[in-house]
Amino acid sequence: MLDRIASLGRLGLDIVASLGRSGRFLGGVLAGVPRPVSGFPLLVKQIYAVGVLSLAIVVVSGLFIGMVLGLQGYTILSDYGSESAIGQMIALTLVRELGPVVTALLFAGRAGSALTAEIGLMKATEQLSSMEMMGVDPLRRVIAPRLWAGFIAMPILAVIFSVVGIWGGMLVGVEWLGVFEGSFWGNMQSSVDFLDDVMNGVIKSVVFGFVCAWIAVFQGYDCVPTSAGISSATTKTVVYSSLAVLGLDFVLTAVMFGDF
Amino acid sequence: MGSTAYISLKDVVFSRSGRRIFDGITLDIPRGKITAIMGPSGTGKTTLLRLIGGQLRPDTGSVQVDGHEVPRLKRKALYALREKMGMLFQSGALFTDLSVFENVAFPLRVHTKLPEDMIHDIVLMKLEAVGLRGARHLMPSELSGGMTRRVALARSIALDPELIMYDEPFAGQDPIAMGVLVKLIRDLNSSMGLTSVLVSHDVPESLSICHYACIIADGKVIGEGTPEELKAHPSDQVQQFLQGQPDGPVPFHYPADDASRDFGLGGA
Repeated sequence: MLDRIASLGRLGLDIVASLGRSGRFLGGVLAGVPRPVSGFPLLVKQIYAVGVLSLAIVVVSGLFIGMVLGLQGYTILSDYGSESAIGQMIALTLVRELGPVVTALLFAGRAGSALTAEIGLMKATEQLSSMEMMGVDPLRRVIAPRLWAGFIAMPILAVIFSVVGIWGGMLVGVEWLGVFEGSFWGNMQSSVDFLDDVMNGVIKSVVFGFVCAWIAVFQGYDCVPTSAGISSATTKTVVYSSLAVLGLDFVLTAVMFGDF
Repeated sequence: MGSTAYISLKDVVFSRSGRRIFDGITLDIPRGKITAIMGPSGTGKTTLLRLIGGQLRPDTGSVQVDGHEVPRLKRKALYALREKMGMLFQSGALFTDLSVFENVAFPLRVHTKLPEDMIHDIVLMKLEAVGLRGARHLMPSELSGGMTRRVALARSIALDPELIMYDEPFAGQDPIAMGVLVKLIRDLNSSMGLTSVLVSHDVPESLSICHYACIIADGKVIGEGTPEELKAHPSDQVQQFLQGQPDGPVPFHYPADDASRDFGLGGA
């Protein structure tokens, strides 16, 4: 019994210590003065790695999710004879919720895990140590560009996801199932508000991008530098990011749309 | 040695994960010479290099490099001091996303504002010194283990450091690669006037090139001196290590319970 209480206490201490380390780590990354000349090419390279290379999975997922929304929406709405509202249903679902959330989950799986594994392997092969010994701070040289790249790429990916999803919904709803095109777009235009819906969705994706990138780079930097350590850090990245995204999504949705 | 010491450790105590690795170690490393630090695996030889480089801080005691008290240096001063240090890691630690040329150019690009053609010339000179000028276009994944270490060596001398630390440079090398590294370490030391610290457990190679050696075991220096002095050292533990005897002061058997009990023999 006492052992269990002790192990619970140890677990609690570990969690608090890890939170403290990640906070200090974030401070160290953000404290550095950005150097536009030398830092910019590094940032562009990372935006390519985490953003452009994630495009394929984001576009394909967006297309299919939009198409499924079109199908399901049509089936449900036609029961009430209101299938012309399918446009606004697809757009609101995507822009407010599915765009930011699903993109963040895909981002954690595709880019976050890659970031963790890359940084973890750099640690295991002493590349980070050798950088330190050359008088170069790896937090600024390696970590900062990756963190900022995630932060910048994620909202753009979420917007692309929503756009492609709406197009996919239109393909199914209008082209296939024969909803009148005018009402599809017209309903969407009249019901989707730029500030309340689109911008709130973008704010969500900015938060998710930051959290996912932070978790990914921290897990890589903090991992035990062995193959088992890197594998567990990569798993943790995906699990923690997904949970953080879903939890934060609830909180943000309650704050943004919960006028009860 | 006194004033000629480039690195001076005094009563350094260092523990990690509850295990005491150094228990009051005191050591002077002379300027402009090759000093070998030897000892069995797991005695903290690499940790010693990290203490000198300021990547770790001792619990108590003093670590001085060129008159600077390393553990007390502020971040900026520490990074400035590190520009005068080169370190060759056991794995080479080349940046895997950069070519051989770019790896060697890395410290130059970060720390200097030299024009591109000058960086080009310096990099080729450093690569020529390690015999790999022709390999400049290769990626680290295309290099053999010995070549990796030579490139890493070229990178660590790119900024013409005053001190270079070698972490197990001979481990896992074939005889030719080992011969090349021995020659490079000796030549670089004499031609550049470097202070070299060599951490290794390859006794013959280390003793053949060092001016001064010390043996660490159990968190302490158990023997030090010139290679000749060490070979004549009275301590049994030093002799066991130098001659590679399987049993002696360091026992062959890991401490265990009475064998008869483990095998279920004998009365109880």
